[in-house]
Amino acid sequence: MIGIERLDTFFTILIGMGTQPTSLLLLFGATLLGIIFGALPGLTATLGIALLTTLTYGMGPAPAMVALLGIYVGGVYGGSYSSILINIPGTPAAAATALEGYPLACRGEAGRAIGATTTASCIGTLIGMLFMVTMTPIVSAFALQFTSFEFFLLAFFGIIISGTLSSSDLVIKGWISGFLGLFLACMGRDPLQAFPRFTFGFPQLESGLDVVAVIIGAFGIPQIIQVLGGTFCAGEARQLTKVLPSFKLMVQNSGNIVRSSLIGVGIGSVPGIGEDVAAWMSYGAAKNASKQPEKFGTGVYEGVIATETANNSCIGGAIIPLLSLGIPGSPPAAMLLGALMLHGVTPGPMLSIEHPNFILEVTAILFLASIAMWIIGIVLARQVVKVLRLPPQIFMPIVVVLCIIGSYGLGLNLFNLYVMLPVGIVAYFMTEMKYPIAPLVIGYILGPMADENLRRALMISHGSFLPMFTRPVCLLLLAVILLTILSQMGLFRWLRQRRHANRQGTE
Amino acid sequence: MKKVLALALVLLLMTGGVALAQKKDFPRRDLTNVVVWGAGGGTDVCNRVISAEMAPILGVNINVINKPGGVSGSLGMSYAFSQPHDGYTLAGVSESCVTAAVQGGWDKRMNVWDFFIVGGSPDVISVTPGSPWKDLKGLVDAANKSPGTIKACASGAGSIHHLNLLALEKGSGADLQFIPYKGSAPCQTAAMTGEVSVVVTSVAEQQQLIRAKQLRPLAMLIPESFTIEGFGTIPSGFKAYPGLAKHLPIYQAIGFAVAADVPADRKAVIEAAFKKAMQSEKIKKWAKDNYYVLSGKTGKAARDEFNRLESLFSWTLWDLKAASVDPAKLGIPKP
Repeated sequence: MIGIERLDTFFTILIGMGTQPTSLLLLFGATLLGIIFGALPGLTATLGIALLTTLTYGMGPAPAMVALLGIYVGGVYGGSYSSILINIPGTPAAAATALEGYPLACRGEAGRAIGATTTASCIGTLIGMLFMVTMTPIVSAFALQFTSFEFFLLAFFGIIISGTLSSSDLVIKGWISGFLGLFLACMGRDPLQAFPRFTFGFPQLESGLDVVAVIIGAFGIPQIIQVLGGTFCAGEARQLTKVLPSFKLMVQNSGNIVRSSLIGVGIGSVPGIGEDVAAWMSYGAAKNASKQPEKFGTGVYEGVIATETANNSCIGGAIIPLLSLGIPGSPPAAMLLGALMLHGVTPGPMLSIEHPNFILEVTAILFLASIAMWIIGIVLARQVVKVLRLPPQIFMPIVVVLCIIGSYGLGLNLFNLYVMLPVGIVAYFMTEMKYPIAPLVIGYILGPMADENLRRALMISHGSFLPMFTRPVCLLLLAVILLTILSQMGLFRWLRQRRHANRQGTE
Repeated sequence: MKKVLALALVLLLMTGGVALAQKKDFPRRDLTNVVVWGAGGGTDVCNRVISAEMAPILGVNINVINKPGGVSGSLGMSYAFSQPHDGYTLAGVSESCVTAAVQGGWDKRMNVWDFFIVGGSPDVISVTPGSPWKDLKGLVDAANKSPGTIKACASGAGSIHHLNLLALEKGSGADLQFIPYKGSAPCQTAAMTGEVSVVVTSVAEQQQLIRAKQLRPLAMLIPESFTIEGFGTIPSGFKAYPGLAKHLPIYQAIGFAVAADVPADRKAVIEAAFKKAMQSEKIKKWAKDNYYVLSGKTGKAARDEFNRLESLFSWTLWDLKAASVDPAKLGIPKP
């Protein structure tokens, strides 16, 4: 816990940075760049940090951290823009936001929705930061409970839950979509024995399909075809007046915000799994806890607040094991680890001895970054909504170009375009048949984790599944997975409907 | 008067000659160092540091760019190799690049390059603090009692650390169960969760955990002992098991390369700058801070080192059935 003198140091650092024009400029610049990265399909927070790492090489560690954390916070938040406005999630972390955000935009409430997500993201980041300074030892211990079996179950759960929640039709379609993503993830050299799987002799397939190309293909292309075909609403921008969310809305959602932050910090701290799963889990939790779960999917503020709070609070959660154990908690945090090493700071158990003020510096920067993000977000919200006034015939082709640049630009690799197009066409037909696409992408992202960890776990246990039933976190995850699956079966549905009917009867 | 004039003329010519010599014909513009691994990784940082030191000596900038991808850095190597072989393009490489050919990443052997090896961090074998083994002998004896049951991790299959583990097993007769992880960090994390009990990675990667007493180092896998400030000295494993000398050390070899057919005079300019940079205080301090052992090998010595690594890595991968191209077909000799 932090003592008085630590608090004093914290404020000294905070004021020092907050009053320095250069660091403020850097902070706002990096945050804005992060938001743009997040909003553009295919460019993610991870990629933003990777690119900025090279650029910050000449800077000192403190300004570099300002730039990197700024782009991290902005990147995680920025994905919500494209989710809400055009139903193409800018980052996988914002895929769950699209479920509620896009219907809101269709109702003409895009501005209000962005206002709500901006505030939720800011609060989420701040709560994550609070956990980072106060609860580091406990959260680190929690992160070390995860061995290969737990990682497998967690990845599996992430796929199942996104499948369950995003299906507008039959839930099994979401699961099928998730498993398709898992199969796609099997392509390339397997992570344990480097055996080439489904590469058909193409050297380009050795490292598997590029994540960015799959994301853009799966999310972008179906949406573009549908909007241009006129079968889908393009959002409207009628109510431009009010962007700031009402105080009442935030108070009503305080429980939701606290729950989502806890989920975000928890998922964030578990190595290798990050913002995307956190968003889906808190969306599911919000739906379960809601008084009107049937309205989810038609545009409710509870939904967008839950997902955006969770994915931003994930940042603080992911930094905890990074700084205290040297284990990055999420993919962007892994990039952050590389950047820190470049600046001569090796995160790990010795960090608090070698750089005693480093954690406080990170806290101060996170605090400033979330404020910067909020200010930029509220100012931008009014402007970006105007994008919807463009006729889709003009706007969508621009999105197409951005999608192509996004896929190609990453590694300047033409092969990515050959991946994007077929994935997109398959995804289009899947959407037409009412198969949700988000589980496919989540399955693709978590696939390697599920695959690698299950096989490694079996290697360690000499082929026995028994350890899965003896470890406490495993049992918990198994129970939640079983419940998620069973709740979709006939009996549970019937029970729930009866309970619902009873409740309505008594009211 | 004539004499003075002649003398002046000679002097003028001499200074002019010196000026001309200083206005050398290589390098006339900036060099590019194509690092085949991602930004922030070991090879990247090492190349940035050495490039920064060499730039003022050469009198031009060295721009460091990253081109990761393919297998074993094949994308970056292909790119660097496709540039004109004029000495203006360097390829920032590491020992792991030697498997690019047998993994089907590209169709060339490593002898198309000439290397400038900065060095690397030596490997150390450690155990979790809760485990009963106090030294290498204790571990080997326990492994001999129940072969194949003690779980050891050493990054991915076919990685440098895996090769070190295999060499240790051959040299000491111990039989451990190898569990692959995607890199050294997840492997060390697994040791902390108790999933594995033995870790073979580099000192640089383990130093934090060693100093925080989260890992107990048993032995260095090099002939010398190694001192970690704030912890103490780790003995060499070669004392207890002289047989290790037959298979070890297998050093990391991080540095850069130029195409082998770059004109010799240009290679000489780069080599001179490299040697001078390696002597600088900054490099020495950086190496100490980062637990590196500096090498400084160039020319034939560096070629021999990479040939040995190529043969070791390639045939190990082939034996593990993780290679897609037969090393014999590529003309890589058996180790």
